Amino acid sequence: MSRRTEEVLADLVADLRPVQRLAAPGWRAAGWLATAAAIVGAAVAWHGLRPDIGARLALPYEVGQWLASVATGVLAAVAAFLVALPDRSPRWALLPLPALAVWLASLGWGCFADLARMGPQALALGTSWSCLRFIIGVGLPLLGSMLWVLRHAASIRPVPVALLAGLAAAPLCSAGLSLFHHLDAALMILLWHGGAIALVTGLGGAVGRTVYTR
Amino acid sequence: MERPDGGWEALMARAQAGDARAYDALLRQVLPFLRAVCRRRLGSSTEVEEAVQDALLTIHRLRHTYDPARPLQPWLATIADRRAVDRLRRSGRRARHETVLEPLSETLAAPAANGWDHASEEQLAAKQLRDAVSGLPSSQRRALALTKLQGLSLAEASARSGLSVGALKVATHRALQTLRTRLGGGKSSR
Repeated sequence: MSRRTEEVLADLVADLRPVQRLAAPGWRAAGWLATAAAIVGAAVAWHGLRPDIGARLALPYEVGQWLASVATGVLAAVAAFLVALPDRSPRWALLPLPALAVWLASLGWGCFADLARMGPQALALGTSWSCLRFIIGVGLPLLGSMLWVLRHAASIRPVPVALLAGLAAAPLCSAGLSLFHHLDAALMILLWHGGAIALVTGLGGAVGRTVYTR
Repeated sequence: MERPDGGWEALMARAQAGDARAYDALLRQVLPFLRAVCRRRLGSSTEVEEAVQDALLTIHRLRHTYDPARPLQPWLATIADRRAVDRLRRSGRRARHETVLEPLSETLAAPAANGWDHASEEQLAAKQLRDAVSGLPSSQRRALALTKLQGLSLAEASARSGLSVGALKVATHRALQTLRTRLGGGKSSR
């Protein structure tokens, strides 16, 4: 053993203190999800549910789309807590992708359905800054909170964990937003909700590559 | 690799509870395994040893993330592999910033006609550089070593030295300016 390795080893042994083991990743993910649900739920309650929520919940297609966005967030959170541990496979990062694919496919399909129902008007692009504001405004603190609780991952897999943290936070905000401010045209949802989710996830990745590393 | 009764997992569980003897035994026993993992990525034995030291530091920092119900080897392997990849990236970064010095004083084809051979010329250049570096204030020398010789990013160098990123930038810049002046006869050209 080199002298320097011997010194490092001796320093670490001298520095040893008892540590509190982390809880199982499933429990930790459940804890974070409960907090996120409480925060998004409070924001929804503050805005109030949209008046036609009952009618919307009777439409299986819309309920399925909403559940896919929730599933994306939940599965991304579980994946982040797993990938953050050195002895878990990095392939867990793929866990939220099927739900994300279903959500995006349902929106894509919705665009065609709108086109058939409404004609070219379905492709009219409008602005919905409030969507962007809500998803980013609530999503970024949620992203930050997950990066904080998973800070131990910074020396192992910073970028995948930070990307998953963004993909966990933003779709949950999008699902909450849909309960009080649903856009009717699928293209608008794809543009504003999808765009905001991509932005928050991309920001997570950028943080992972820079400040979160080590 | 020698595995004691109860294995590395039991030693790590005792280390998590604060048992220094178990921790010392564990770290010594896992060293060959860490080296083997790092050797898969790195060629030079010096780099392997440095990656192993980095891995030991990460193991220490992340020891609370280990679940004794699971095997320790995959947990160690990921950590050692990440630190080896870091070293690989750093040496790649360093290689991009370094240039092979050409013997500028050579005027004739026969080495003997130039007064000294390449080896002595390199030794002289190395001595001049060493003298110039040792003449720098210690903060500038440390900044230079971390950012230019070890190839750390400013954030990494800041974490390791305790200096702010701004202070590191200033110290590195001043060190390079001083070296240019001393070695290049006052010229600041690269």
